[in-house]
Parts: sequence; structure tokens; C-alpha cells
Amino acid sequence: MRHSTAPLQSLLHYVLAILTIAVTTVLLNFLRDVLDTPLIALLFLLPVGLSTAYWGLGPGILAALCAFLTFNYFFIQPYYTFRVHQTGDLLVLTVFFVVAAVISQLVGQARSGLAAATAREREATQLYELSTSLAGLQDDQAVARILAGQALQAFRLERIELSVAGPLPVNAFEFSLPPASAAPRKPERIVPLQTARGPLGEIRLWRIEPLAQPAEERMLRIFASQGAMALERVWLGQSETRARVLEESDRLKSALLSSVSHELRTPLATIKAAVSSLRGGQVPWKSAAREDLLAAVDDETDHLNRLVGNLLDMSRIESGALKPQRQWNLISEIASGVLARMRQAAQSHRLVIDISEDLPLVPVDYVQMEQVFTNLISNSLKYAPPDTTIRISARKQDALTVLVQVSNQGPPVPEEHLDRIFDKFYRVTAADRVTGTGLGLSICKGIIEAHGGHIWAENLPDGFSFNFTLPFLWDGAPPPRLPLESETT
Amino acid sequence: MNPAAHILVIDDEPQILRALRTILTEKKFRVSIANRGEEGLALAAANPPDIVILDLGLPDMDGFEVCARLREWTQAPIIVLSVRDSERDKVAALDKGADDYLIKPFGIEELLARVRVALRHSAQAQGQKETVVKAGPLIIDLPRHVVRRDGAEIKLTATEFKLLAYLAANTGRVLTHQSILTHVWGAAEADHIEYLRVYMRQLRKKLEADPESRRYLLTEPGVGYRFLIDE
Repeated sequence: MRHSTAPLQSLLHYVLAILTIAVTTVLLNFLRDVLDTPLIALLFLLPVGLSTAYWGLGPGILAALCAFLTFNYFFIQPYYTFRVHQTGDLLVLTVFFVVAAVISQLVGQARSGLAAATAREREATQLYELSTSLAGLQDDQAVARILAGQALQAFRLERIELSVAGPLPVNAFEFSLPPASAAPRKPERIVPLQTARGPLGEIRLWRIEPLAQPAEERMLRIFASQGAMALERVWLGQSETRARVLEESDRLKSALLSSVSHELRTPLATIKAAVSSLRGGQVPWKSAAREDLLAAVDDETDHLNRLVGNLLDMSRIESGALKPQRQWNLISEIASGVLARMRQAAQSHRLVIDISEDLPLVPVDYVQMEQVFTNLISNSLKYAPPDTTIRISARKQDALTVLVQVSNQGPPVPEEHLDRIFDKFYRVTAADRVTGTGLGLSICKGIIEAHGGHIWAENLPDGFSFNFTLPFLWDGAPPPRLPLESETT
Repeated sequence: MNPAAHILVIDDEPQILRALRTILTEKKFRVSIANRGEEGLALAAANPPDIVILDLGLPDMDGFEVCARLREWTQAPIIVLSVRDSERDKVAALDKGADDYLIKPFGIEELLARVRVALRHSAQAQGQKETVVKAGPLIIDLPRHVVRRDGAEIKLTATEFKLLAYLAANTGRVLTHQSILTHVWGAAEADHIEYLRVYMRQLRKKLEADPESRRYLLTEPGVGYRFLIDE
């Protein structure tokens, strides 16, 4: 490969071979009277061998020829002619020529074998590097970038362009190195990107020297097929991921449907039973039973309404449409607003707010945070025994974060459930025992995360607690401080 | 309460119309119903109502527009009834001149309470402005800038009083954050909701016997505040 790359360089090698023989001739010329003719012949073999070893077969043969001529001219009597008088000298000369030629031949072969081995090793290294860098890529653009980068280096290209047509129109793209420049002329070479399933596109190459046959051609084809395989693998992976996502969302949808139909039918059944018995006239006009039935209808319609609201919220969260309308708000105000509204529903428990007056304002969506508190308190009401305390506390965790805690004296939740209780429709106890939508906590999680916070649950020595954090900063701005005013009236 | 108050209900759902007509007639109101916006406006013009109950989702025109067109000539209170529960819709309806906003499904007691508050408010608006507002143990003397609870004067700052006075002068009405901020702090401060949060907390602490029970100063989440005199 190297010979074809630089004609100037190989000319230089021939010149060097001649020079080596010239230098040897000059040196040996001083010793002509001391040394025997056969010894001189032996010494001449040295530069011939070296020339072949260093510069290849051609220069070696040339060196042998030159050595033969100079040996004859300078060292065989009569000197300074190409004539030979003694039979012995003729023999020496002949043997010398044969030996020189054979040495050149052998060394040259070994050398070109070595060069081929080196070239193969380099090819193998390049292919290894290519396949390791392509392995594990998840992105077709990255595959193109690496393929182009390595080809540019391996083939010493002026420019490379990849034109990729994927399985879907969205997968099609163009890539070129160096990027964002126009092609100087028509490409020297176009290699198809092809897999067993069909063509994926092509690689266009610009290089001044032609490709060496067959080694570089073979390499180029291997590059192209490696690239095509990597692209195909990426796309297969993507479609597999899409299929998995679809399957998962299908699974969730059917879980949702079965849960929703169960949750919808339960209150509907109660309402239907209550109303039909009231209309049927079996229930006396003024009786406790009548009041009970009416209260049940009232409660169950509220429950249905909450369920519909939760489903809407969940779908907003999942479609990413739940964007907090942030305002500077007081956590204590939001919490006490929720408590005031829930007082009726929470008569069975003691609700306590424990939030310091000097807790700074927090940038949150008032309505969404109200919902977080409502859901966490409802959940606590369901699981904590009656006449226990539910406590809402908030404190500065550090300069950037507020930590809010809604704790109750309910039973602990097994550790393995702690992370999963924020999943949709996840229940620690059997679904029939507890009413609810199975969405409350996942809505909390969605809201807190949309605010840039984090929510988790933990068991306390004497109960159970929901904790969440919220950032104090709003687009980098700290909470405002309001000027104090004196009481003048 | 005026027993013969005329209520106009504009809603496109026959079940709601049927239920409201039955219940309101039972409560001795005169009830007219319309299931389209234009029809409602025509009915209102022909026989001016004392109060309008309006659905936002009408087949022929937007509820906000009905609101705005009614406001061109009548100050009769408008209570919006809607399944739309976004705060933006509530604020938009209030900005268009609605007095109150109730989300479907609603309890009939809640609706009747809002109707009573609205009627009383419109009676005040037509008659002489009340200058002294009484709410349970609280007495707010607007011209003299004095607030008492159980006879004892409560010290308020100038801003606190201005805020309370604005809310009390509009007893029963939902006032949006914007309108309160503009009225009390000025238009330039209309976005500083944090002023309102902090001052409302101070007011509650000073006025409410139990600041957490919120009997008089009510928060309308995401919309604004309302001063309420409970009966």
C-alpha cells in the first residue's frame, strides 16, 4: 500500500539504494589491497541485504545490480574495466550475483509479508475500533457520526457524506464530514449501505488518490456493512421500545378501565339502590332510614365527582398539560384553607398545622398545592385510626428547599410498598376495603414533580408520614420580603 | 328575602333546567328558563330578572359573551354555573361581570345560599350603601375606619383596613386577586399576589377568632377572596 501512496518517496528509495552501494564502494576501495576478492564480494552483500530490508525488493535488486557492476569494475582485475581475466574471479562474480539476487528476493518477500501483516493488523484494529464504538449506540445520528469519523481517518479522506434512508421517513437524514460544507466535486466513490433486508442509503467518498485494490476496497465494504448493521440495530431497538411503550400503555389503560368501572359502579350502585327504594315508597317519609339513604346519595355523588376530577387531573399530568401557575404563596395559608374545607370530613381526627410564621413564601400553584394537601390528608384519614392526630408541618430544609410533612399515627406500611404507593392504582390493602380512586397519591407525585420537588413516604416510630420538598427559588429569584407597616388606626 | 324574586336560568341541559325549575319554584321564586344565549338575552330584556343563573357552555354563544351583554344594561347579579373548573374560566367570568361562580355538580343548598347573598347585595347596591358592616361579633365602620370585635377595637394598619373595607363593601361577592390588588395597591402592583397572601394572613389573625376556621374571610382558590357574613 505504501508504494502507491508516494511515487516520490519510492524514487528516493532507489536513489538511496544506489547511494548505499556507492558509499560501500568508496569505503571498500580503500581496503582493496588488504582484502581478498571473495571477502569483498561478501562485504558487498551487506548493503544489498540492507537495501532490500529497508526499501523493498525493487531498490534491493537495483542495489544488487549496482554492486555487481561496481564490484566487477573496481575490484576485479583488470581494475576499471568490466572485463574479467581470471576464471576464479568470474566464478566469484557469478556467485556474488546469484547470492545477491537471492538475498534480495528473500528479504524482499519477508519484508512485503511483514508489510502485509502490518496492514492487516491495522485493518483489524480499525475494524475492531469501529465495531466497539458502534456497539451499544442507541441513536442513528451517533452511528453516522462515528462511522464517518472513523472512515475519514482510516481512508485519509478529503470528505465523506452519508445519506441514510431509514425504515420510516422520520429516520432519513444526511450527514457529512467536515460538516456544513458543500461537496467540492462529484464523489470519487459511492458505496451502498446495505443489509440483508435491503438498502439503507449510501456513503459518498472524496479522496484524491484512488483506492488500493483489493485491501482498501475490502475494508471499505466492511465499513459500510458494519455501519448498515449498526443503523439497523438502532432502528430495531427503537421500534422494540415503541412496541414496549405501547404495550405498557395498553396494559395501564386496561388497568385504568377495570379500576374505573369498578370505582364508578360502586357509587352508582349505592345511588341507584337508595333512590329506587325512596321512590318505591317503602321508606317512611320522616325516618332515620330516609335520611341515611339521602346522605348516602349525596356522599356518593361527591365521590363520583372526585373520581372524574382525579381522572382528568391524571390525564393532564400524563400528557404533560399540568403546568403549575406559580405565584408566591404561603404554605401555611394553603394548608389551613384545606383544613377549613375538610373540617367536616375530618371530624374523626385531630388536624394540626405546625408551620412557623417566618417560613418564606414559596413559588407554587395554589390550587394544585391545595390538592396535594387534600389528597395526603384524605389518605391519612383513611388509614390512621380515629381520634389520632394528623399533623402538617413545614420547615426550611436549607436555603433552597422547603420540606413539608403530612404525618399521621396510622400503622406502618411495609418497606417494599413505600416507593410504590405513589404508582397509579397501587394499593397496599385489598382494593375492596378502602374507597378511593387509587389516583390520589400519583396525582400528588405528578404535581410535586411538576413544581421541581420530590415526594416520598416513610414510617415514623409512632406513625407514618408523607414528605415532600419544594424549591424556594422561582427562576432563580429568592422569595420576596414585604415591608412591615405600623398600625395607625 | 323578596319572595317573588325573578330568576332567569340560562342552561342548555334539559335535566338541569328541569331540576332548577322544580326546586326554585318550590322555594317561591318566579323562574324563567332559556336553553340558548340569544333566547336568554331576549327573555331578560322582555322581563328583567332580579338574578341570572348562567351556564358557560351554550350552543349558540359563549357564556362570557352573555355575561358581557347583560352587563351592558343591567346590574342584576349573575351566578355562573359551569362544569369548567379551571381558575382561568372563573376569573374570566368574574371579569366579564359575573358575581359568583359555582361548579357543577353543586349542592342545592350551596346554590340557594349564593342566590340569597347575591340578592341581598343587589338590594344594597340599589338602596343606600351600608356604611357599617356587621358580621357576627365584628363591626366594620367604613367611614370612621374603625373595626371592633365584641366591642373591642382592633388595630389595623392602613393597608389592612383598605383591604378589609374593599372586601366588606362587596360582601358576598368573589373579588379576583387582580381587582383587589388594583383597588388596594394600585394597578402597577396588580401582579403581586404575595402582598395579598401576607396581608390576608395578618387580617385573619386579627379578625377571626380561630384563624383556621375562616368564617368571614374566605379564599376562593386560584381566583380571589370573598367576605362572607354567615347567617
